[in-house]
Amino acid sequence: MSRPRSDDNSVLLVHAYLDGELDPANALSVAQQMSEEPALAAEAEHVRELQKLIHERLPREEAPPGLRARIESSIGATRQSRAMPSWMQTWRALAASIAVAAVVASGSTWLVVDSRQQPMQVAELLVSDHIRGLMAPEPVDVVSSDRHTVKPWFNGRISNSPRVVDLAKDDFPLVGGRVDVLGRTPVATLVYRRAKHLISLTAVPAGDAFAIGGPHSINGYNIVQWTENGVTYWAVSDVEAKELETFAQLFRTSRNEL
Amino acid sequence: MSITPLRPRAGANNPDGPPVRLVTPGAQDAAGMLDDNALFRTVVMPYIDEAYRLARWLTANGTDAEDVVQDASLRAFRAIRSYAGGNPRAWLLSIVRNTAYSWLRKNRPATIVSVDDLEAVELEHSRPDESRDDSPEASLIAKVDAEQLRVAIAKLPAQFRETLVLRDIEGLDYREIAEATEVPIGTVMSRLARARRRLLEMLRQDD
Repeated sequence: MSRPRSDDNSVLLVHAYLDGELDPANALSVAQQMSEEPALAAEAEHVRELQKLIHERLPREEAPPGLRARIESSIGATRQSRAMPSWMQTWRALAASIAVAAVVASGSTWLVVDSRQQPMQVAELLVSDHIRGLMAPEPVDVVSSDRHTVKPWFNGRISNSPRVVDLAKDDFPLVGGRVDVLGRTPVATLVYRRAKHLISLTAVPAGDAFAIGGPHSINGYNIVQWTENGVTYWAVSDVEAKELETFAQLFRTSRNEL
Repeated sequence: MSITPLRPRAGANNPDGPPVRLVTPGAQDAAGMLDDNALFRTVVMPYIDEAYRLARWLTANGTDAEDVVQDASLRAFRAIRSYAGGNPRAWLLSIVRNTAYSWLRKNRPATIVSVDDLEAVELEHSRPDESRDDSPEASLIAKVDAEQLRVAIAKLPAQFRETLVLRDIEGLDYREIAEATEVPIGTVMSRLARARRRLLEMLRQDD
């Protein structure tokens, strides 16, 4: 018995028959053919066997946990970057610093924050930065859920680029980063997302060790602060204080670093 | 100390670039963006598992598959308005497939076999096979384990592999496969028959 070529029409129809793709008339005629030609019956037998084997041996794997969250967060990023053409993003950091310089030069006193700034004043300034971030077309200057993109972005903009860790699996996906200005000092701020809330995490080189103690709240925004390796981290968000502390804890203990 | 006045994040006029527009909340096309998101949630998000599995079969690697799916989702989001209300799964899978092939062309150019090459390989391959008598014994492949099966499927040329995966693992019908792989149904049928035959051939040799 010789085997029909795989592009033989009758062979294709046998496969289509097994896949339930034929209308009743054609199905009937293929069934008839199979009963008359052993080669076609054998083809059908082998295909059934193969399908059974695949069904039994290859369970359908689910997408890894965290993939959906990362997609959601990159979509959020896209939605925001759509609202503003890319040239604006490029210009924004610069424009922001020009604005600050202008205000500073104008003699306003509220922005003059130097290294001896009182911790609570720093906290207030960072809350303001966070609110500005929320009000801006997008809360970040660089949009990326990838820490390998965000960290290098800070190089050249900030003298010490911050620790950037991936907390997507803990449902704190990274949204991106921006440069905030604290007094006259540009500082790196990472933005993470918790459900629909944003968390601004600012790294301030701690020439002088600030300490504000436990979680604080300013105008409804919670603040958690800690110092590690000579850098003071300030997390500002409208998520609940407990969640913000969880975030801080995860960030401090994460080894998932660049 | 009270909250400081809000500093605009963008300056008024920039001499060297286009003027920086100050966008206030609510001034954006909020309704339009919401529609995009809602569409994305119903058209794309339900099929992330399928997308991941197809990407994994095409790239042969879980991490690469995640990258491909993430990239494909972004493409899908940007193109969400071009989604014409057809089969969402097939629509997404066609984007995943194209993303995976661009990814492979960029990162592993050696693995890409053009369709012309494929036909040649297939003819070459089919001659001894076609003339051979079929073995009548049943269950020649019953002892094949999951790993052997996985390896054999991975060895199929990509166009055959994707067709077989979409049909025999994902359970798409021919029309959906034709849509996802952007070929006529006749091509789906012949690829599927060839894929299954080659797979059976490899599994028998393993045995």
